[in-house]
Amino acid sequence: MTAPLRRSPLHDRHVALGAKLAPFGGWEMPLEYADGGVLKEHAAVREDVGVFDVSHLGKVTVRGPGAVAFLNRCLTNDLDRVTAGQAQYTLCCDEAKGGVVDDLIAYRHADHEVLLVPNAANTTEVAARLRAAAPAGIDVVNQHQEYAVLAVQGPRSARALAALDLPTGHDYMSFATATRGGAAVIVCRTGYTGEHGYELVVPNALAGEIWDQLRTAGVRPCGLGARDTLRTEMGYPLHGQDMSPTISPVEARLGWAVGWKKPEFWGRAALVAEKEAGPLRTLWGLEAVDRAIPRPGMLVLSQGFPAGQVTSGTFSPTRKVGIGLALLEHPAGSPEGTEVEVDVRGRRARMKVVKPPFVPARVRDRT
Amino acid sequence: MTIPENLRYTAEHEWVSDAAGTEPVRVGITDFAQDSLGDVVYVQLPEPGTQVTAGESLGEVESTKSVSEIYAPVSGEVVARNDALNATPELLNSDPYGEGWLVEIRPSDAAAVSALLDAAAYRDLTEK
Repeated sequence: MTAPLRRSPLHDRHVALGAKLAPFGGWEMPLEYADGGVLKEHAAVREDVGVFDVSHLGKVTVRGPGAVAFLNRCLTNDLDRVTAGQAQYTLCCDEAKGGVVDDLIAYRHADHEVLLVPNAANTTEVAARLRAAAPAGIDVVNQHQEYAVLAVQGPRSARALAALDLPTGHDYMSFATATRGGAAVIVCRTGYTGEHGYELVVPNALAGEIWDQLRTAGVRPCGLGARDTLRTEMGYPLHGQDMSPTISPVEARLGWAVGWKKPEFWGRAALVAEKEAGPLRTLWGLEAVDRAIPRPGMLVLSQGFPAGQVTSGTFSPTRKVGIGLALLEHPAGSPEGTEVEVDVRGRRARMKVVKPPFVPARVRDRT
Repeated sequence: MTIPENLRYTAEHEWVSDAAGTEPVRVGITDFAQDSLGDVVYVQLPEPGTQVTAGESLGEVESTKSVSEIYAPVSGEVVARNDALNATPELLNSDPYGEGWLVEIRPSDAAAVSALLDAAAYRDLTEK
C-alpha cells in the first residue's frame, strides 16, 4: 500500500486556481495553473516574476555544539567556505560508493545550527543517515511539514518582495531573516530557475497570508512543469535523473560542490579514486539540430555507436529548440562541440554537445 | 470541456468531421486531449499522399513534458495537413476544433466515419 500523498498548506489555494496537481516525491503539488500553462509560467519567470510553492522540499535542522563541524565531516562541500547568513549547495553521498543520496542547500545560521533543504523524496533518508552519525549533543530534527517554501523568481522578484516589506538585495546565496507575526521568515537569494530570485522558508501558519500578498503584488503562480523547463535551460541537474545513487558527482560534473581538500566527507575515498582515474562518462548538454526533443532514457549515438543516455530533456521555451542533459562516454577527450545522434522513438535526430547553461544565468544580477 | 455535436470522435480523443461517403474528413484532437497534454510545442504529421490505417500511428504531438501519439481514426489517404502547426503549434491548445486541425483524410471505407462515436458517446467516455 502506498502512503497517502502529503499536501502543502497552500493546497486549497492551488485547487481554487484550477491547478493540475501531480504526485511528486510523495507530495501532491501543482504542475501548472488554469490561466497559465508551462509556457506562460516559464515566460513570467524569465521576463517578470513568478512564485512556486515548493513546500515539498525537506527542512531538517541540525542543532548542537559543533553542528557545522559535524556536517562538514558528512556532506561534500566545505561549509567553512561560507559564514553565518550564507547558504551553500552541497551533496550527501554514499560512504561506500560515492553515489549521490541527495543534493541539498545548507543554510548556515550559526556554528551550532544549520538548516538543510533536501529533496522531498530523500528527506527521510538524509535525516536518518545524519542522525545515525551524529555525536551526542547534536540533534537532527526533521521539520518537513512545519514550514512552507515559496520560491519567488524573476527579474521583478526584488520589487515584489519589497512590496511585502521583506528584505531584498542581499548577495546571491545569502539569506536574511524577517519577523512576521512574531515568527521568523527566512528570505534566501537562491532558486532553481537561473533568474534573480528568492526562496522563502515560512512557518505553515503564515504561508497563506504571504502567498495572498504575493498574488496581490502581481506575482504569477507557477507550477513544477515550468520549474523543470527553467532548470533544464540552466543545465541544473535533478536528483534521480542527472545524478543519483548510481551517478556520482564526478560523472555529473559537480566537483565544484565537493570540498576535495577536506580530510573527511561521506564517499571521499571512492570519489577521489574516481576523480584521479577519470570518470567513464560525464554529464553534458544536448541541443537539438533537427526538430526533435530529447527525453530521459533515449539512447545517444556517436558516429553510429552507442555513447550514452539522455537523463533530462524538454523543449526550451526561451530558445525554441529541444534541449537536454546526457551522460556521455567520451574516450577520445571532451565531447564539447561534437555532433551526436539521439534515437527519438526510432528516428535519428542530430544534436550538438554543449556546455550548459542554454540560456545565460542571471542569478547574480542586481535588480 | 467543449464537445461539438456535429463531429465524430474516437476513444483516443480525436475528432473527425462528419462528411458524407468518401469525401475528405478533417481530423484533430479534442479539447479534453489538448487540456491533458498541456502546452503543445511540436507536431509531427504525415505528408499528403500517405496511406494510413485506422488505429495505427498517424503522428505525434509533444508538450514540454510528454509525447502523445495520434492514431488514424479511419483508414484512407492523407490529402492535406495543417502546416501552420509548424510555426504555431499553440493553435492546438487555443482552437483544437478550428485552426488547430491536424490532417484531412479521404476515407477508403464510406461507412467508417459514421461508425465512430457521436458527441454523446464521447462525452460519456470523458466523464468516466
